[in-house]
Amino acid sequence: MSQITDLSWHQEIEENDSLPPLSLQNVHVNYRTRKGSVQAVRGVTLDLQAGESLALIGESGSGKTTLGLGIVRLLVETAEVSPGEIIYRRDGRELDVLSLAEGPLREFRWRDCAMVFQSALNAFNPVLKVWDQVWDTAKAHRWNNREEVRERFLDLLRFVQLDPDRVINAYAHELSGGMRQRTLLAIALLLDPQILILDEPTTALDILTQRTIIDLLRRLKEDLHFTMLFISHDLAIAAELADRVATMYAGQVVELGPVEDIFYRPRHPYSLGLIRAVPTVTGGFEELSSIPGSPPDLINLPTGCKFHPRCPFASERCSSEEPGLERVGDNHYAACWHTDAVQEDIERSGLRGKRSTQRERATGL
Amino acid sequence: MTPILELRNVTKYFGSGRERVTAVDSISLDIEPGEIVCLVGESGCGKSTTGRMVVGLLPPSEGQILYQGQDIASMEKADYQQYRRAVQIIHQDPYASLNPTQTVRQMITTPLLRHQTQGTGQNGASAGRRGRRRDAGRRAAELLEIVDLTPVSDFLDKYPHQLSGGQRQRVSVARALTVEPKFIVADEAVSMVDVSIRVSLLNMLYRLKDEFDVTFLFITHDLALAKYFAWEGRITVMYLGRIVEEGPTPRLITDSRHPYTQALLGAVPEADPELAKKKVHIELRSAEIPSLLNLPTGCTFHPRCPYFVPGECDLAVPGLEQISDGGSVACPVRMAEPSQIV
Repeated sequence: MSQITDLSWHQEIEENDSLPPLSLQNVHVNYRTRKGSVQAVRGVTLDLQAGESLALIGESGSGKTTLGLGIVRLLVETAEVSPGEIIYRRDGRELDVLSLAEGPLREFRWRDCAMVFQSALNAFNPVLKVWDQVWDTAKAHRWNNREEVRERFLDLLRFVQLDPDRVINAYAHELSGGMRQRTLLAIALLLDPQILILDEPTTALDILTQRTIIDLLRRLKEDLHFTMLFISHDLAIAAELADRVATMYAGQVVELGPVEDIFYRPRHPYSLGLIRAVPTVTGGFEELSSIPGSPPDLINLPTGCKFHPRCPFASERCSSEEPGLERVGDNHYAACWHTDAVQEDIERSGLRGKRSTQRERATGL
Repeated sequence: MTPILELRNVTKYFGSGRERVTAVDSISLDIEPGEIVCLVGESGCGKSTTGRMVVGLLPPSEGQILYQGQDIASMEKADYQQYRRAVQIIHQDPYASLNPTQTVRQMITTPLLRHQTQGTGQNGASAGRRGRRRDAGRRAAELLEIVDLTPVSDFLDKYPHQLSGGQRQRVSVARALTVEPKFIVADEAVSMVDVSIRVSLLNMLYRLKDEFDVTFLFITHDLALAKYFAWEGRITVMYLGRIVEEGPTPRLITDSRHPYTQALLGAVPEADPELAKKKVHIELRSAEIPSLLNLPTGCTFHPRCPYFVPGECDLAVPGLEQISDGGSVACPVRMAEPSQIV
């Protein structure tokens, strides 16, 4: 089933010591509402390195989708990105994404940075066949050689393991969820973008379909070295695909580090809380616990550390002073006053405890 | 012990003629009082249809559903009413299952007053309408406490739109508890709730089993949640309307036998990078799920199964056969082979 199709035209980015293709500097996003300003993203500073896959994880309302949409400037009109800076680099040129005019912005989107949206059905025009939509996209980017476009797209469909004849003349509703998601991925790759942003790429798909998408994304990452930004509430997607993980809470990156560090040596109580709240399937029987309370109101944020009302490690200081990201290890950063206490807690009680069964509790074992 | 609930060769068709779809195909299941049974499978496998038949929201096309040994299709009116009260369902979407124009208090007291099953206040005063209302209000507060919506006064007069998804789902549970159910069907009850609070909802449901002897049929597509919730119970795996494997949860997770169960277990992404790397993925022969309108002959998994034996799997529908390690498997080819997923 998995014969590898080569994408001969794909330009790999050289991973020398050059600057990262995408840099976010202190990015803020506010939504204006009647009730006040919703502070969805608050001061995110992040570099996306060439060839890496970075996962943004967090609950709903943590600002991860807003940040993703902000990078390709697809936010609704009531959103305002300020202050902040988004710098995109390719082949020695440098773009200030936030100040791009309409024309260059259209060039930047898709050709440089493509986004795969959460709901695959909504991303298609329901009255256009897949091919017409692809052709429209190509033309909008002044690629007018129909044969070339068609050949490229057939290549891509084979790469995502779809039968080109079946898909190319189909309407979106004629495809199953997994086929739609794969088609969408093929379209996103049409212009060979340098960066791929994927918003919840496998949410709402069935387990076996999910696996085909994950395997496909892994090939993009491992064989073709695409630079990818995953946005997901699902820790498992990060564990399967990410090189680095950024945990977001209340609009901020509260922890950033290599995937093993975040999953086995988290230093922020929120990352730890998420890990302790999610069961594995084949990892034996775990003691799990929820994070108490619910995510904060983004209009009236708590003072100090935004996580302190839900945090088991919170102290006096946390309610008044907001911590910034501090280095806690190699390439590992956390924004918490009590990273040492978190570490001690993991050393003492383990990452996920083993839960005793009812029978064991009853017999006192 | 009589099973609290029993399905005997239950089949459900939708539509007729060439458009007829068999959503559930002759499944049998016994559930003992106090047990937790998880029904897992992908969309279209018939798990929700089964749940709806169990609570009496859909009649089976063929076969029988027995509640405490009695066929619900031929029950006396009083028995039927008792069954409908005893078996409750918690739906997936707490945004759709709560009336947006009612407060939490109204939603919970209405069934209490209708069924007059207030747990407290069985004194003489409860004769008057006002007394009954007061009792219902008191009981509503108790129920909110049971589902951890405290302080209760913060929640009684709220409308659903003022609550988070997790809080709404707790209201759904409190509402189901008004009639003192013995059996709860939880249909993807925590799927729409944020990951950080799912576990507290599951733990709360689990407590109901201990404190009120509630039996659970827990329907989910999420094997990790099924494992967590039903570790001391059983998991039943469905594929295209049929049960392909069932057994005690630890056995099913660590030593599954049906190729479909193994494919699912291998495919589920793990929230642990090492586990994710270590796990064996079963390569299927086809990624396409057959249409329910045109099911494959024999074992419906055969067009995708890597262990397909021509002339065997595509002819006869394999029945569930018991295995010595607990539970049963509908695959004569692989049932004796230990699993190699982990």
